[in-house]
Amino acid sequence: MYLILLLVIAAPILTHSVISTPINPMTKTLYDFIQNLPPNSLVVESFDYATSVVPELHPQAIVVTQQLFLRPLKVLFVALDPNGPPMAQAVLDTINKNNKTYGVDYATLGLIPNSASEIGMVSNITQFLPLDTHSNPTASLPIMKEFPAGKMAALLISYDDDSTALFSYLQYWQGRAGVPVAVGSTALLAPGYLPFYNSKQLVGVLISAPAAAEYELLLNSPPPEGYGCCLGISGATSALVSQSTAHLLIIGMVVVGNVAYFAGRRRRSEKEK
Amino acid sequence: MPMSEPKKGMTRSELVLQIIVFGLGFFYAGVYYVSATPAIDLQAISDQLLTYITAVLTAGFAIGVINLIRVHTTNIKRRRATWRYSVLLLVSLAAMAIFSVIASPYALDPTGAVIPTSLIAFSTPIWEFLYYKILVNINSTIFSLLAFFIASAAYRAFKARSLESTLLLVAGLLVMLGQAPITSLIWPGFAAIRTWLLTVPNTAGQRGVLIGIALGILVFSVRRLFRYPW
Repeated sequence: MYLILLLVIAAPILTHSVISTPINPMTKTLYDFIQNLPPNSLVVESFDYATSVVPELHPQAIVVTQQLFLRPLKVLFVALDPNGPPMAQAVLDTINKNNKTYGVDYATLGLIPNSASEIGMVSNITQFLPLDTHSNPTASLPIMKEFPAGKMAALLISYDDDSTALFSYLQYWQGRAGVPVAVGSTALLAPGYLPFYNSKQLVGVLISAPAAAEYELLLNSPPPEGYGCCLGISGATSALVSQSTAHLLIIGMVVVGNVAYFAGRRRRSEKEK
Repeated sequence: MPMSEPKKGMTRSELVLQIIVFGLGFFYAGVYYVSATPAIDLQAISDQLLTYITAVLTAGFAIGVINLIRVHTTNIKRRRATWRYSVLLLVSLAAMAIFSVIASPYALDPTGAVIPTSLIAFSTPIWEFLYYKILVNINSTIFSLLAFFIASAAYRAFKARSLESTLLLVAGLLVMLGQAPITSLIWPGFAAIRTWLLTVPNTAGQRGVLIGIALGILVFSVRRLFRYPW
């Protein structure tokens, strides 16, 4: 059984199979929200995931960041997980930066060490993150002079692997300062976030790798002017076939397990008679 | 066995601690909920106190590292059963720490003002290899094992034994069918059913749980602030 599972996962990846996917409304909502942000708005991206969930969350971070860099927006990269800053750097190394300038259009501020700093950043970012990841004083960066406080952000996106980061952003950034918040979520945690999406506390929920594939399709329809990059940028589209076949196999396993269970039960009851 | 008598009253040190907890608890609640600007800038005081918390927590982290080193050094000295893993842990800890402070987003001197740039140039590919090629892949592999556990569990445990488990089984299958893009090619309704299950019944259940948790936290916080019961 494990061998079959290995085969149905590996074969589509090795053969680079691609499948079309319907767009989830929750994915489309976030895409539209970013597309409609006024020029020069600040977006904060928080990388709150460990390396174990890279296959689920990293593709999301790549495609959303690509969209942010294709639009005239300012972006700050922060992290509540110690693995976040290297992940943010990996994303920046992957995307097309569209001639954006470090310090002016975007900055990597590194790790937010604890919730105390996260709370304080709502009113004053530089006091809690005095240096960026290149050791520049954050107070000297033009982007920080323009947006010194977290409450000035037009959107905060948390790529979150254990819900603590998102809930603290909802408490301190969305609840207190009214900053719109979105989440990139693993498939396991997404159901827990939907009450916040339905109550409009979240402006979008990206669910696992399929959301990244959907986002790629959205970014590419129509292709950005002069830059038809976005199909395949995150690697999520090729993972979708594997996911589909693995899901079908698991569904098949459930059906076989139940057929065997009922057959065994009938056999036992006939024996008893 | 006789039960110990419940403690009555507070010692002086407990009282001082309680006054601090009570004062800070209400101070932060006030800063959070009151948006008016009084004569004293409460927000600035709050921000300053929060930076102190950062310093204290960072010191706590350092204690954790020291403790980890002591535990594993003792393992090695006494040749305990897993002492080889302790060696591996200490070597990995030292290697990642050294290369991270020289060349990573956590580098102490990324511009090369003090550390020679040749050393940074030498360390960068090593750190990238250790982090992106080893750590990321090891962690992803461990997490990916979940797929095999789920496949096994699906076969052995996911059975329609009762009405409740049948409901769970049907809902789980429908969400899985909706989540797999290939099923949308067979019938687009699977995705719509998945979305409905997640946004309506799931949200209703989750809200109940969340409200229960929130009320629990509120009650616990009030009890802690007033140190009830004494």
